[in-house]
Amino acid sequence: MSAVVHAPGFGLFLTLVAYLGAGELHRRLGRPALLAPVLVAMVLVAVALEVLGIGYEEYLASVSVLTLLLGPATVALALPLLRSGRALLADRGAVLLTLCTTGAVSVAVTVAALELCGAPDDLVLTTLPRSVTTPVALTLGVTIGANTTLAVVLTLVSGVLGATVGPWLLDRVRVRDPRARGFAIGVVSHGIGTSRALAESDAAGGWSSAAMVLNALAMTAVLPVVARAFS
Amino acid sequence: MPGNSTPQPAPVHGWAGHVPAVLAGLALLLGLQLAGTLLVDLTGLPVPGAVVGLAALLVLGARWRGVAVRAEPAGAPLLKHLQLLFVPPGVGALTQLSTLVQNAGPLLLAVVGSFAAGLVVAGTVLQALLRRRASA
Repeated sequence: MSAVVHAPGFGLFLTLVAYLGAGELHRRLGRPALLAPVLVAMVLVAVALEVLGIGYEEYLASVSVLTLLLGPATVALALPLLRSGRALLADRGAVLLTLCTTGAVSVAVTVAALELCGAPDDLVLTTLPRSVTTPVALTLGVTIGANTTLAVVLTLVSGVLGATVGPWLLDRVRVRDPRARGFAIGVVSHGIGTSRALAESDAAGGWSSAAMVLNALAMTAVLPVVARAFS
Repeated sequence: MPGNSTPQPAPVHGWAGHVPAVLAGLALLLGLQLAGTLLVDLTGLPVPGAVVGLAALLVLGARWRGVAVRAEPAGAPLLKHLQLLFVPPGVGALTQLSTLVQNAGPLLLAVVGSFAAGLVVAGTVLQALLRRRASA
């Protein structure tokens, strides 16, 4: 038994089975946002590692192929942007202005909230990449000296918030244009929110993935500058 | 440089019939990531190499459609199952639950606050701008 559990491929097998199982469960239950497959799979793997007595380091070595794929996956984010390129280019002024305003408000609220609570500087650094899509947030977190694993949790929290209360909140403030709805969800809650926006309409989904990529690019340029004030 | 602006006859396949399209696409994506890393290393830009690769694919794909078409067979499944790649860091994050619980108050305020503010600002600003443009 121990030979199987500590075989080099076991962690990868565990992750794939948990991911596929969580996806199937999600589909059967009618896609509830709170049971996002990534969250369920994470918990399943963490529990399995605990029960089988496998250390996190050993697990990481087994799934290194997945970690490696984050790079090419980040590069591939250009593809949805290329697909919706024409529509975005036609409204580039509106898109750029929205992106800058939202980024400024989002960073200001994050920093202000943490400063008011007297949180330590490294916590501010960790919270900054929150709205950036996870593969970029991970590399960006390393660049600005954030606690990357905690940054990932906060990214996941933002994604789940966007998928669950995002559409409701947009209804409250009467944002009905599918392009604006999609863009708003993509900019604050990246991939998980985007999959929810895609369920609303193609227009919302396209604008959401575009917003996610543009926001990642903008934040990559801006956050290292902001981070300098806290390190 | 592969391809040009003329229409591609049978674009979904890789470089040649005997090269699997997925592997060719993966090689292209990795190549762009590494080129980005090289550029970051040479210039000292505070940006991840993969993001430079993203920008490079954006520029190349807008100029030569064939580049985007060749990246697609590897890019599409990667993006569709992006969440699978987040499981390992997520598991690591679960081991840090104590830090999270310790700072739950401020973190919740920062994350929920900036989430709500960002969402509302982005939605209302973009809707207003698009509407003004449509009526202009």
